[in-house]
Amino acid sequence: MVELERRGIPTVLFTAQTFVHDAHRSAASFGLAGLPLAVVPLPFTNQTPADIHGMAERAFDQVRAGLTRPVEAPKAVERPPLDERLRYDGDDLLDAWGRMQADFLVRGWADGFPLVPPTERAVGALLRSTRRGPGDVIATLEPGFGIATVEKLAINAVMAGCGPEHLPLLIAAVRCLAEPKMYIRNKAMSTGPHAPLVLVNGPKGRAASLNSGMCALGPGAPSASNTVLGRAVRLTMMNVGHTYVGVSDMDTIGSPLKYSLCCAENEAESPWEPYHVTRGFAPDASTITVHFVYGICELHDFRSTTPEHLVQVFATAANNVAQVGTGLWLIGRRADPRSKTEEKEHNTLFICPEHAQIFAKAGWGRREIQAALYRAARLPFRTMILNKEPKAMEVAHPELAWLADHPDLPVPIVEDPTCFDIAVVGAAAGRGAYFYGAGEPVTMPVED
Amino acid sequence: MARLEILNPVARTVEHSVKPASRLSTLEGATIGLYWNMKAGGDCALDRTEALLREKFAGTKFRRYTGSVGWLMRHCTAEDADRIAAEVDAVVGTTAD
Repeated sequence: MVELERRGIPTVLFTAQTFVHDAHRSAASFGLAGLPLAVVPLPFTNQTPADIHGMAERAFDQVRAGLTRPVEAPKAVERPPLDERLRYDGDDLLDAWGRMQADFLVRGWADGFPLVPPTERAVGALLRSTRRGPGDVIATLEPGFGIATVEKLAINAVMAGCGPEHLPLLIAAVRCLAEPKMYIRNKAMSTGPHAPLVLVNGPKGRAASLNSGMCALGPGAPSASNTVLGRAVRLTMMNVGHTYVGVSDMDTIGSPLKYSLCCAENEAESPWEPYHVTRGFAPDASTITVHFVYGICELHDFRSTTPEHLVQVFATAANNVAQVGTGLWLIGRRADPRSKTEEKEHNTLFICPEHAQIFAKAGWGRREIQAALYRAARLPFRTMILNKEPKAMEVAHPELAWLADHPDLPVPIVEDPTCFDIAVVGAAAGRGAYFYGAGEPVTMPVED
Repeated sequence: MARLEILNPVARTVEHSVKPASRLSTLEGATIGLYWNMKAGGDCALDRTEALLREKFAGTKFRRYTGSVGWLMRHCTAEDADRIAAEVDAVVGTTAD
């Protein structure tokens, strides 16, 4: 709508009451805080035609006014304080820290857990871990178009509990977030529980004590490094990207995965080349991969001893139509219209070492698993289309209209076999993890 | 008494500015674009809006649009926006939830 206003076309946008703040904030970030809205009490989704008509009727005066009355001067946009130093007084330092914590919660700058105070000394220690200068700009991070300087990343990293060894990893993660193909605006602002799954490969992850084995996704002391790095990514999305709950993050239910979701690949126990090599990097390179995911399903199987059986079990996790990405290719591809990027919907599998060995002993690599999963993970068209807008499919794939006449035909849940990303993670016993993904992963090298 | 001095974690932002379009003096005779991003129910709201506009403003004409890219939500590219801007006088959209 802002782009139409820019072209001289007056617009008005239906918006549910719950999303008014979000709509204003979004329009403001694109430069037009006063974009006219026709506010309705509920989202149109899941409403009957009669209820939608009623809401449209009651909002009609707003539609008329939005197109004919001059747009009021934009309200002042909430700005971060210009004061780059914040001071908290207390009876003692613990009391002062408590006031800092309380203030950060009020301002929305905290994730809910206690924060480490980002003192100049603590931040300085992190800044010495990179060749980059404090003012170097790594990216402009959406949805708020925050300027991600190295110093701001270091401050948020300290708050998360990170040490100097984590800052280069966080910088690489932020480069992943800012990559146009990531289309983070969509994932940060959605009503869906998009959580950044951070996968670390290479020697720098090992140097930072990233856990790839037992309980790699936490909790616990062995995964402390994973926890703080994942947390730093979330705090950076908030305080640098301005992804704040109820303001720009409109997640319906939320997810514990959004606090921190990070581990390393268990390269030592993998029978295959490291994951980042499949992404075009050298084996000795250090990389960060970020894949936004909606949720996680266990890949449990203590009985299977053949690849074919394991794939059948894994496919049952994939065949979950209540998960938004399943069969989503039928109605198009996630796309950022500004950068003209498109993403296929990927899913990430963490295969445990024991299961990986079953595949490897039979001569299977990632490609064989991907191909077998692609064949096995299928649902009848009538099931796949249950929660999808038929008109969207008509627009995205008019050539597939014939599927409506074959409702029992099995349809693959992803667009092609490469939409399954596979890493080896974990310790003993046959339990892996299937992550329902949102779009494609992005991998970046870790640089000093 | 103790003081804790810390560094502000919040990043400054790149600011954008767009001048809002001039509004129409009347909707009578106007060509109205109805933009639906394919989120469920949005088309139904636009159906009713079109009927009300036809009823209350003589000579209104309508054109329906959706974005040329996307999935659950179909988005408007710059080329889409150029085309829409060339074809209508105003737009009513259902793009948010």
